Amino acid sequence: MFLANPDRFLRFTRPLTPVLWGLAAVLLVVGTWFSFTAPEDYQQGDTVRIMFVHVPAASVGLMIYAALGISSFFALVFRHPLADAAARAAALPGAAYTALALVTGSLWGKPMWGAWWAWGDARLMSVLILFLFYLGYMALRASIDDEARAARAAAVLGLVGMINLPIVKFSVDWWNTLHQPASLLRAEGPSMSAVFLTPLLLMMAAYGALFLAIWLTSIRAEIVRRRVLSIRARQALEA
Amino acid sequence: MLDLDMGRYAAFVWPAWVLSAAVLAGLAVRALVAARRWSAELKRLEDGRLAAGPDPTPLANSKTAHRE
Repeated sequence: MFLANPDRFLRFTRPLTPVLWGLAAVLLVVGTWFSFTAPEDYQQGDTVRIMFVHVPAASVGLMIYAALGISSFFALVFRHPLADAAARAAALPGAAYTALALVTGSLWGKPMWGAWWAWGDARLMSVLILFLFYLGYMALRASIDDEARAARAAAVLGLVGMINLPIVKFSVDWWNTLHQPASLLRAEGPSMSAVFLTPLLLMMAAYGALFLAIWLTSIRAEIVRRRVLSIRARQALEA
Repeated sequence: MLDLDMGRYAAFVWPAWVLSAAVLAGLAVRALVAARRWSAELKRLEDGRLAAGPDPTPLANSKTAHRE
């Protein structure tokens, strides 16, 4: 609640934002280096390098929706504008990350599965639905002129979409899917060798840091945009 | 050792990486440009208000802006 005040939020995130941008840049460079110095996988060959961009996009894309959903809850229940700004700022990066997960997954699937897409696969379909929730959220906001009404309607949709998150996560356990089961978050520990785990974790950290940098920058811009609109509205009344 | 020879999978690996780089760069540039644009606009408006003389109305916080 400390950061719920927009002025306090701006003050607190001012030094943090450039640090996150720098951290994301460093992690992306180091992660890319490790991704292309790792050996070929004995089964996947060089397509294993697609995993280093696919898995981070998919996992961070899912986490972004959780951030959007939680922000929507606070926006809807407490009518807090900062929470609404946070939800709004998460939508586009979330959609982009999820789209990247779908496309890079497809680019991996063709040489490994022999198919670009599998309509009957629960993981693929639940991620596609996640992407559609992002698109729906942005379309709904854009379709209502009154920002307060748009925020409330979008927050409801944002919350409804939370139902899909456990379905995405556990789809590989609940159904027989073409998509492989979890290989990182397992009770027995990660199932992959350190030479692949290192670039994967570095790239996941890079994607996460980049999202946080983009998110904070966009929330800050949204606060400033609302101040600009407020001043313009007051000037229009005074004129 | 750095290995950029993707062999027979080059047509799948490189598009995945190039597309990822392009989309992430696009997101970053868009966020930074928007932040800079709105900050410049706020500064312009505030400078204009200062030049016009003292204003008893405090700068609206985002809560006020949101409800307007």
